Amino acid sequence: MNSLPRTIPEYLDHLRRALAGADPAMIQDALYDAEEYLRSELAENPGKSEAEVIAAVASSYGAPEEVADIYRDTEVTVQTALRAPGPAVRRSLAGRFFGVAADPRAYASLFYMVLALATGIFYFTWVVAGFSTAAGLSVTIVGIPLLILFFGSVRVLSLVEGRIVEVMLGERMPRRPLYSVRGRSIWQRIGDMFTDPRTWSTLLYMVLMLPLGIAYFTLTTALVVSAITFVLAPLGAWTGLAERWFGPGDVVLRGFNGAPLDGWALVPVLLVGVLLLFVTLHLARAIGRGHGLLAKHLLVKTAQYS
Amino acid sequence: MTRPPPPDIDAALRKFQRELSSGVVALALLAVLSRASAPMYGYQIAKTLERFGDGVLSGKQSALYPVLRNLEAAGFLSSHVGPSDAGPPRRYYEITAAGRDALREWAAAWRATRDSVDTVLEGTP
Repeated sequence: MNSLPRTIPEYLDHLRRALAGADPAMIQDALYDAEEYLRSELAENPGKSEAEVIAAVASSYGAPEEVADIYRDTEVTVQTALRAPGPAVRRSLAGRFFGVAADPRAYASLFYMVLALATGIFYFTWVVAGFSTAAGLSVTIVGIPLLILFFGSVRVLSLVEGRIVEVMLGERMPRRPLYSVRGRSIWQRIGDMFTDPRTWSTLLYMVLMLPLGIAYFTLTTALVVSAITFVLAPLGAWTGLAERWFGPGDVVLRGFNGAPLDGWALVPVLLVGVLLLFVTLHLARAIGRGHGLLAKHLLVKTAQYS
Repeated sequence: MTRPPPPDIDAALRKFQRELSSGVVALALLAVLSRASAPMYGYQIAKTLERFGDGVLSGKQSALYPVLRNLEAAGFLSSHVGPSDAGPPRRYYEITAAGRDALREWAAAWRATRDSVDTVLEGTP
């Protein structure tokens, strides 16, 4: 554990261990930065061995433990500076229930759930069409380059989805791609693409996004529309606006077991509508949190070089 | 009555340097990039600062990368990934118009601070 790293992979391994337990997205960024620096240093000093360069880097760039401390520090400073302050924690049960209306995260999650239908359709189509085209053509000469291009495009999409997830769901995601392992031949690197669990977990995520997107979209629109209807129907009936809006041929459902509801009997409907609005916000926030974890697990976690 | 432990001068110095560097490094990065004729990548920027660097600027160069990323997020820098002949693709940074505006303001704030701190420090050992 305490032996000094002598090669770039060893240095990165130390850094990864020193950062163990930190946010995986931050670890990915830190590893990217370190690798860029080390590779550049190595390229600038062609006469020196890798071990010498790594030893010199400890004083300029920092030893892995120091680098880990610096990143932990910066992450804390940046988060406190850039993140909007969280909503005030409410003690009472009612406060916690209705307080969700003041939480921007709930609305962002709601929006993400609606958007998920569009992104889900796009990811699914891209992955299914791209993968089957490339895999089908891989018996011919154009198939392999097409497959490589396809995997590259999936990596870019995964970064884009990461940015969306971070902005809307508040889950820290990487801002830099992973370095591929250096010093391997082009054929080995193509092989790596197939054996990298990250490739497959990203594909799985993109395919999953279609059913998830449909479910999220349906849930959001159904709940929001029902809640708004429940709130507006009594208001419409009381003010008499409903009679003016609807023609005699329209079917208006405003009753219970065949008995039409009117006057004070509509108060519970209004209350249920208001409650449903808050329940929807709670549900959106919970689903947003859960989806953020899923995205992190499938798009980032599996990539930590195990 | 227990006596408080003697103050750790070294740790206090490190803490002071860390706090001092957080803003100054961002200013120095903007300055380096505003003088550059072409976009620069992280390692190049680090080595340029190392040439000028003394005091807090000579700290660990790994601290520069998160600051670069923050400056980019704030819109003061823009970046693109370019290939390199010696290894991995690199992220090249250049200063934006907003970055130049910020640099002008920050440099004025820095000069004013430096002069007044120097005046206050005059005559101290």
